[in-house]
Amino acid sequence: MKFKANLTDHGVNLLEKRFLPALDKMGKICHLYLTRDHFFFLHNLLNGDGIQSIAQFKKEALFEDYRISSQNEDRIAFAIDLSLLHRALRSIITVYAEFSSHGVGGVVSNQIQIRLVKKLPAHSQQPTPFLTFETKGYKSAVIQDVPISKPLSRADMAELQAALDTAQEMPRTLVKVRDMNQLEQFVDRMKHVGDVMNVSISKYGDLHLQISTTLITLGAEFRKLLVLGEQAEVPRGEGNLSAQTRTQRAIQRGDAMIVQVSVKHFFKSLQCHLAKPDCAFYGITSQGACLTVIFQFFVPGTRQTDKSISLHCRLPVLDPGSN
Amino acid sequence: MSSSAIDADGDALDLVCQLDNVQGIVDALTSVRWKRHQDAVVELSEHGIVLIVEESSCLQAKVYLQKELFVKYEYSAEGRPRFGVSLGLFVDCLNTFSVPGNSNSIEIRYPGPDMQLLLKSVDSLDACIYAEVRTRIPDTISWDYNFEPAGSTPLHFTVKSAALKEAIDDLEWPGSNIQITLQPNPPCVTFRGEGHGDLQIDFMYYANTDLLIAFSCDRQISYRYKYKFLRATTANIPGSVIRDNRGSKLTIGRGGMLKVQHLVSVAKPPVSHSHVDYAGYQQPSRIAYIEFFVKPEVDDNTVND
Repeated sequence: MKFKANLTDHGVNLLEKRFLPALDKMGKICHLYLTRDHFFFLHNLLNGDGIQSIAQFKKEALFEDYRISSQNEDRIAFAIDLSLLHRALRSIITVYAEFSSHGVGGVVSNQIQIRLVKKLPAHSQQPTPFLTFETKGYKSAVIQDVPISKPLSRADMAELQAALDTAQEMPRTLVKVRDMNQLEQFVDRMKHVGDVMNVSISKYGDLHLQISTTLITLGAEFRKLLVLGEQAEVPRGEGNLSAQTRTQRAIQRGDAMIVQVSVKHFFKSLQCHLAKPDCAFYGITSQGACLTVIFQFFVPGTRQTDKSISLHCRLPVLDPGSN
Repeated sequence: MSSSAIDADGDALDLVCQLDNVQGIVDALTSVRWKRHQDAVVELSEHGIVLIVEESSCLQAKVYLQKELFVKYEYSAEGRPRFGVSLGLFVDCLNTFSVPGNSNSIEIRYPGPDMQLLLKSVDSLDACIYAEVRTRIPDTISWDYNFEPAGSTPLHFTVKSAALKEAIDDLEWPGSNIQITLQPNPPCVTFRGEGHGDLQIDFMYYANTDLLIAFSCDRQISYRYKYKFLRATTANIPGSVIRDNRGSKLTIGRGGMLKVQHLVSVAKPPVSHSHVDYAGYQQPSRIAYIEFFVKPEVDDNTVND
């Protein structure tokens, strides 16, 4: 089992400034899943409860000189503590940047290399696996070792891949949220009211959030959002009705779906704004299995989707909605 | 976004009103929050909305939101509807509507189909926040305070709100009472706290005219008040009141009942195209009035009455 690659400057930027801060919020421990072409950060795919997050990078988005081999179709997966990874990367980058910027007379060739190794940790006779970062410093090579779990067995990896395949299921209707800030501010203020939130999404382009307790009902409705996938025209004459009434009618007609999710999970998923996406799409998968939010990234300076990076979250549904 | 004052059954709603500065109302209501859980009684009338909270028959606070504070105020009730609501819940709910950067206009309606208080943002057609707050049949106010003047000459003084708050904060001694003394010669207000040692703060009328703005007193009087109740009258004065540095008026009525009055600005913050004149002068109608009533501690050592 071998893995070695050089992090590009673009890769460093993507990880250190954008994705690691966002993924840190999804959970401390995640799986890194490496294949011949892709590099994944996967949260909660193998255990049922929490919010699932899938960050996928084409290898060229992060690395050059990417080499991987294993007996399992050149795939490797292991668990890692993201806070340790983030800290190691930050400290390697500092050394890398200092040394690179002090190059005398011309371009200094320096790299950040990342490798899978087995080493003897202190106070132990048993070699354990590490993900190692290495770069050139002023006088010597600087190495940061991040401890990782034993790489996943063939069986476990198959389970991970199966979970990943399920997680790629697309909802039939997606609505595009233009202003994630507005959504975040609202949920931030709502979250002390209750633990459970009803989310409904309609084919007309309405996203309706509601938290309800015996003493108070608080809701926000965002209308006329862009719809991808199955759409429908807003029925005439309903514009003046309350958000709750319109949502109920849309569900009865089969034009909308509603699910209940944890407010904490929803708020957590909004922290993905730290990865600086350009917009977010919300949808409910078939049979109300989960609430999906897909973050879209544009190629900088354009409105073309950058297909080399993707991030989406799946929020478990607490109670099947009435569809 | 129809805002007809008729509900689904064709009956006129008691009240449909709209305000354009939620933050100001939040500030005014926050000034009477001295505990986590407080039940408030709300009274609606053609003059405006009054919210009343009290504690153990010793402390009562009222917030007056007169109808001029509202952009729209359509009152159709017979008599004066009263209902109970959780103050903390109501304020937190209003806070949800007060998002910086947006123009915070909300519409409030009462009653909903289940006697709820209904709130809805009216800024934009495409995004809307709404809330329904459950109300209760209120308990009768147990304490009929009946504030009366102390005598033929009123006993009151007006002090800068920031100075009052600071004085009360400084006088904090656990379990202590605070003695307030007014004397006419020289005109002076004294706050005194006793604990491990004692602390006295004097406001001299002629010495500190920028702190003690007004003073009326014809004989020496002195009363004691529980510290925690006195503190409640200034603990949550909104930052805007401190910054505006308005005066707070304290009046001592018959029997030593203390009335503390604050003014809270509910004006819309200045916007470039607004026609409101906001060069430091507040139109009177953009001010909410807050009143606290504190019962004195009565014991054998009381100096007067």
